[in-house]
Amino acid sequence: MSRLRRREALWFYLFASPWIIGFVVFLLGPMVASIYFSLTDWDSFTPPKWVGLDNYRRLLTDDPIFWKALWNTFYYAAISVPLGLILGLWLANLLNKGVRMRKLFRTLIYLPTLVPLVATAMIFKMVLAPSGPLNDLLGVVGIPGPSWLLEAAWVKPALILLSVWGAGGATVLLLAAMKGIPRELYEAAEVDGASSLRQFWSITVPQLTPIIFFNLIMGLIGAFQVFSQVYILTKGGPNNASQTMVPLLFDQAFSFYHLGYASALSWLLFAVIMVFTLIAFRSARRWVFYETEVR
Amino acid sequence: MSVRAFRATPFSYATLIIVSAVLCVPLVFVVSIALSSDQTVNANTFTIIPREFHWENFTRVFSTELPMQRFLLNSVIISVGAVAGQVLSSGLVGYAFARLRAPGKNGLFLIVIATMMIPAQITMIPQFILFKELGWVNTFLPLIVPNFFSNAFNVFLVRQFVSRLPSEIDEAAMVDGLGFFGIYRRIMLPMLAPVLIAIGIFTLTATWGDFMGPLIYLNDESKMPLALGVQYITSTSQALQAPPWNLVMVGSILLTLPMILVYYLGQKYLYEMDISGGSAGVK
Amino acid sequence: MTSTSNGGLSRRGFLGLGISAGMITLTACGSDSDKPSGGNEPAELVMTVWGGENDKATYQKRIDLLVAKYPELKVKLQLIPSDGYAQKVQTMIAGGKGPDIMQVAENVNVYSSKNQLLPLDDLAKKANLDLTQRFGSIGKIYSYQDKVYAIPDRSGAMIVYYNKKLFEAKGIKAPTADWTWDDALSAFKELTVPGKQWGYTGAGWWAQWWSFVYQNGGKIIDDAGKPAVATDEVIEALQWAGDLVTKHGVVPTQKQYADMGADVGGDAAFASGKAAVNTTGFWAINGLSKATIEWDIAPLWRGKQQAVTAFGSGLSISRTTKNPDAAFKAIEFLTSPPAQQQIIATGEDVPAAIEVQKSDAFLKPAWMTKPVNMKVFGESSEFIYRAPFIPAWNEMQKAFDDGLADFWLGKTDARSALTAIQAKLESVVKPA
Repeated sequence: MSRLRRREALWFYLFASPWIIGFVVFLLGPMVASIYFSLTDWDSFTPPKWVGLDNYRRLLTDDPIFWKALWNTFYYAAISVPLGLILGLWLANLLNKGVRMRKLFRTLIYLPTLVPLVATAMIFKMVLAPSGPLNDLLGVVGIPGPSWLLEAAWVKPALILLSVWGAGGATVLLLAAMKGIPRELYEAAEVDGASSLRQFWSITVPQLTPIIFFNLIMGLIGAFQVFSQVYILTKGGPNNASQTMVPLLFDQAFSFYHLGYASALSWLLFAVIMVFTLIAFRSARRWVFYETEVR
Repeated sequence: MSVRAFRATPFSYATLIIVSAVLCVPLVFVVSIALSSDQTVNANTFTIIPREFHWENFTRVFSTELPMQRFLLNSVIISVGAVAGQVLSSGLVGYAFARLRAPGKNGLFLIVIATMMIPAQITMIPQFILFKELGWVNTFLPLIVPNFFSNAFNVFLVRQFVSRLPSEIDEAAMVDGLGFFGIYRRIMLPMLAPVLIAIGIFTLTATWGDFMGPLIYLNDESKMPLALGVQYITSTSQALQAPPWNLVMVGSILLTLPMILVYYLGQKYLYEMDISGGSAGVK
Repeated sequence: MTSTSNGGLSRRGFLGLGISAGMITLTACGSDSDKPSGGNEPAELVMTVWGGENDKATYQKRIDLLVAKYPELKVKLQLIPSDGYAQKVQTMIAGGKGPDIMQVAENVNVYSSKNQLLPLDDLAKKANLDLTQRFGSIGKIYSYQDKVYAIPDRSGAMIVYYNKKLFEAKGIKAPTADWTWDDALSAFKELTVPGKQWGYTGAGWWAQWWSFVYQNGGKIIDDAGKPAVATDEVIEALQWAGDLVTKHGVVPTQKQYADMGADVGGDAAFASGKAAVNTTGFWAINGLSKATIEWDIAPLWRGKQQAVTAFGSGLSISRTTKNPDAAFKAIEFLTSPPAQQQIIATGEDVPAAIEVQKSDAFLKPAWMTKPVNMKVFGESSEFIYRAPFIPAWNEMQKAFDDGLADFWLGKTDARSALTAIQAKLESVVKPA
């Protein structure tokens, strides 16, 4: 390695040291501890008892609720993540136009993510009531609305609806990134007579791919770890129809006092998320455009 | 030169108005419930459009024996500390991951991403034990200090933003004799201002609304932040007792208002700053 | 700037890692290595309770009385919002130092079965405290394997709230403890106006339908500590409760509840006059004192025998306390009549001490604006059944929630639902 490269590497580790130190000090220990606990029977009060891989075996072969929660989590992630990405992009593009009162519009669209979830959940219960405003609206178009939160088949779509309501959260980064796109690109396209849709697809979207990719990865991780929405709105019910992985592990850890079991659950979830994230990173080579090679 | 992509048509106005209305109409309920009387709340007969206006619900929250001003001050201290920590550290680390070459970097980046995949709930007890051994329980330190070491989310975010910037900028600066820290300070930092402000806003809203961290780490009432203080007003003494929904909503509004204000005013720096010049920072 | 602060912190941080790696298992094993941080002041007792502002005020008043009587005691009250109580206490204990005095309820044996609470029998004997004399049938309700782990502090039976106007309009006499299930059902039927008004708010909550189970001679957990929910007595009682919704239509369905408003349950439906009878705890009195409907309370009706659930909490002593004698002295005083009177004086709850439940201070509290038959609590306390506070309480409740979801919708009958739950419980509940 040349002296210059060595110096660069040194600077890298120097710059990255805050994160490295923080990781080693605050996170590594607890993570290693949770791996150890996942191999034990531990109630958080009495000493852990070594059980080897038994927790993992029970989860995979002996716990129907685990599989139900895993399926529900997939369902939620598979719909809410793409939907969130598309809506976020669409809203950001609208907000990026030279509209009057854009500050107000941006604030209104971001607002739902700022309101505490206890309040939001209460409102959603009102909106989603069998004869509530949403079903009234559906009735106008001739669709008989379901009893959203009470029916096993409709409670997951209700949770997705809640996630869609917060789609404005994604606009912050997209808008900030849109502002960084060199204006000359648009001006050149304008001279060529490109329509606004065409400009969006051939300039805005490609330029945003690093941020879209960021939103995708964070969306995936967030959806697989969805917690408060489920815990506050449905408690996983009816009969686990909306139970997802993290609320399940939270119950196991803090309500049933099976911390070993919950730790095993969280490492299985880790593995699942890891697989999807790696797939996303692999695909990124084909559609994410970086100005510089990031290696 | 006016560009079609940015031109507002009547259609864009119509869409924006409809979308904003759909998103915000539910929030009218929040206000309606906040203004309801105790009787209405007790029988849960609130309406979407406010029918009664019990503004005193807002003053009631402050007329308790709870030190609300103190809660507010604590929230400010914790949030400011957390924001300062994240903003100071995230840019540096993210820049390194985006631009500097070093052996082991890819593996390290994988670890960065991987740390986000383990649910925070499961490391909570070991982390508590760690902070207890450091003697930090019942202080603000566990809520502030870790922020000075950045976090995976922000590192990844800054990395993505830096990677959008053309590398000619740093190369030119290198030729001018600026070192890596110089490039970061003089060139990258100004260009990263919007993303650092976004990080500030995200950190602020997350810290401001968090009650689980303070619940676990703080014991003295005089140290509690507003998010936890609001819980005292709305908490019931029996599991199945319904909470006082009007006060829950008042509390939610009080917690949200400062965040709305910050976002509304912060937009100027987030979206309107001129950073497209690229070479602006080079002397 | 960042780099200097890192330098300072990292050394302490690395030290922390080393300690943490070693200590996590050690502390988990319950080591008492903790040093008091205060210095050499007289030992301060930390007391954790849950609830809101009124709870804090009430506990503090009682502590003030305690300190006035025993100036050598120092108690620091730590109020924790209800939603976070269990988790906060769990973390405190896992961190090696639980509270000295700790409020517990149905989940008391989560802690006692894991050796986190002190058995109180000997301390009570030393203090000449006769639990049955002071608290009646619930004196030893917080026991595990024949040892008492918490002293009852608040305890009110579930009671019947009824809408006087609706009863009078139909010429029905007020409910009494002698009503049978059939009496109740025929009253509910008369008080129901389909789709508009319901006779009863329902028994979907454990405290409600379990009362009927015990009235019917059934038990949720049998005397040997095994789940016994698939027995005829339990099945019959649950089916009766379910039929009120699905067969007789005298109780709102879940859908009808959801249409009344967000989160509307029995308490709100009763307060708004949509249901004529509600069975719930003391807390509803507070809200109803401002309601527009006219109401009163009565003891719960009976089945083959009388039985009713009580809602309450007790005070326990953590195993890590440095000063069990002082802690017990505090609990003894806090549960004695003079301190217990505060619980009703502030309208917080029903004090557990029988003497106070029968005193004028309880029967006619100063804050009460309506004539309410408060004697009901004292009367009901005589037939409170002993609910099975097993260590796996939360898991058991979850099994019922999941397993009965379809039952309450009328999609399955009590026998098949309870048979499935019995199987689930057998894997969850380990006999003591």
